[in-house]
Amino acid sequence: MLMMHQLKFERLVILFHNLFQLLLYVYTKANAASGMAVDDECKLKFLELKAKRNYRFIVFKIENQQVIIEKLGTPEQSYDDFTAVLPADECRYAVFDFDFITNENIQKSKIFFIAWSPDTSRVRNKMVYASSKDRFKRELDGIQVELQATDPSEMSLDIIKSRAL
Amino acid sequence: MQRIIGGSGLSLLQGSTPSPSIAIRPNSQVNLVAKSKPGNNRNPGQKRHRGLSLNPHKRVSKPQQSPQNTQHNTSQRERERRIEAFSPHQSNPAIMYGGDEVSAIVIDLGSHTCKAGYAGEDAPKAVFPSVVGSIDQMDVDDPGNPEKNSGSIPDSKNVVRTFDSEKSKGKNKLYVGSQALGFRRDHMEVLSPIKDGVVVDWDIVESIWDHAFRECLLVDPKEHPMLLAEPSSNSQQQREKTAELMFEKYKVPALFLAKNAVLTSFASGRATSLVVDSGGGSTTIAPVHDGYVLQKAVQSSPIGGEFLTDCLMKSLESKGLTIKPRYSFKRKEIRPGEFQTVDLDLPNTTESYKLFSQRVIVSDIKECVCRAPDTPYDESAYSNIPMTPYELPDGQTIEIGADRFKIPDVLFNPTLVQTIPGMESSAETAASVRGLPQMVIESINKCDVDIRRELFSSILLSGGTASMQQLKERLEKDLLEESPQAARVKVLASGNATERRFSVWIGGSILASLGSFQQMWFSKSEYEEHGASYIQRKCP
Repeated sequence: MLMMHQLKFERLVILFHNLFQLLLYVYTKANAASGMAVDDECKLKFLELKAKRNYRFIVFKIENQQVIIEKLGTPEQSYDDFTAVLPADECRYAVFDFDFITNENIQKSKIFFIAWSPDTSRVRNKMVYASSKDRFKRELDGIQVELQATDPSEMSLDIIKSRAL
Repeated sequence: MQRIIGGSGLSLLQGSTPSPSIAIRPNSQVNLVAKSKPGNNRNPGQKRHRGLSLNPHKRVSKPQQSPQNTQHNTSQRERERRIEAFSPHQSNPAIMYGGDEVSAIVIDLGSHTCKAGYAGEDAPKAVFPSVVGSIDQMDVDDPGNPEKNSGSIPDSKNVVRTFDSEKSKGKNKLYVGSQALGFRRDHMEVLSPIKDGVVVDWDIVESIWDHAFRECLLVDPKEHPMLLAEPSSNSQQQREKTAELMFEKYKVPALFLAKNAVLTSFASGRATSLVVDSGGGSTTIAPVHDGYVLQKAVQSSPIGGEFLTDCLMKSLESKGLTIKPRYSFKRKEIRPGEFQTVDLDLPNTTESYKLFSQRVIVSDIKECVCRAPDTPYDESAYSNIPMTPYELPDGQTIEIGADRFKIPDVLFNPTLVQTIPGMESSAETAASVRGLPQMVIESINKCDVDIRRELFSSILLSGGTASMQQLKERLEKDLLEESPQAARVKVLASGNATERRFSVWIGGSILASLGSFQQMWFSKSEYEEHGASYIQRKCP
């Protein structure tokens, strides 16, 4: 009886070990990634944006070696309100829930992921955000369109519309 | 955070009140001061001082020297002591670097120059040619002779330096670094370890690394994680060999290999981009998507800065000009302001060393006067272009006309090479190579349709040749004409010349200095457990 328990336990240990290795592999796979951690709150709020549509947008920033939420936008806020929140000379990640009407007159919405890295920001800042993006984006399940913008013209409303359609 | 404290350290050294403008600016010199301390603590003091006096030219640009530039070594040491005296204030690395301190070393060994420095700084500390001088020991009859050529440095130091820089590899003595290569030596051949972007001679690579660690950075590789930049199309064997050497010979605690293109891309804030890296030995175009190089779409051509230099040299020679290397003559001042050059007869100088010294001069001419033409080069349109004067080291002034535009245009139209006299040997290779814009479009067309739009709108220029004037504008213009209508073409290059030239190194420097990056390193224990091939998994 004891033997059997021990055997089971050993098998469990091996199983967990394998799982752990697998996880480790998945997370270390990213090329030259920075290894930045992601705050759980980011995922939760993103889920709320996706499922309950509680927010129009979420702006994330990196602080103390992890990605955290900087600002949440209420559903009433517009795209202009959103762009106004992004700092002119610092990088950010953002998620925007974009409502639009298709050519067939159907109301639709798409979730945008925007990597904002203005040319005027410091190299270090850009590097940190660019090298952490892939890992962070994978945490947010349900992004439909991805965009990287280095100046406001690259994320103008026209571009957003054209990418949504 | 780190800058503020580093900055106040600097102002302490200068004996003035802390100035906020220094504190906030991303200033590499601030870092130099802050960084020199941990190095000091780890290195024996004596070694440090030796380094200081041996490489005076590397220190000249340091800010704390500028006020008292006229004083020499004694005051340098005094300052050094003062730096150490202040170190207790800043000895906590967590405060200094915001917890990001890993004191890694970053090396970007290019085909033309090797860039090495400490992670976290804004520019590489040491930049030297990635070629070495090699003397077959059998031929050497008078090793003391070359030292006489160095007028500026006292003999005693010179002996120490030579002793340091030459690594006896079998029967060859190797000389590494700008200084060692600056002296002409009898029978010294100049060799490059890299052919077509692939390392062919690991002994030379080792000697270059040795030089970087022990003479330029004054570090013990055993104590520092090492981040190496590698070409985008590096082969598996090359990577494993690198890992093996680093762990077995240098016993580094951790290693990371990062692709050139990825580092450039990240340093500009993009995870997806098309990197056009025009360096010394070649031009490589590599699409990067989410931090991965798309290997199948990588394009490369042998036309880089060195090729252009050769074109210019041949073109000048065909016009009857000879470029006299600096070592081949002496200049005397006969009357104030009037010089006379006397040619020296040095029969034992090798062809390769002569070529190397000539290239140094011609590449300076190229950097000074050349500029990419706005439209494809046309012999008749440029025949009446005003001449630009350039003074050669021997005092003769040459004038360069159409070549100013013709040479850079080779990048866009390699068939131009056929019209340059003396370049017939390379005409064939050049004919098979396409111009820069065509390569860019071909590379993008090999990528997935979904990311082409993104690639077109973020084409990054990097590398030494990218600093060519008007290159960015010309490439953008040509691409606009040849790309699909819907594409929004945008060519980007950092406005800062240093950033443009060293973008790969700077990217590596930042990455290696991130606290969160520490978990990504390929560590010594992992190497011991899994072997060199594990590098493919750790640094894909």
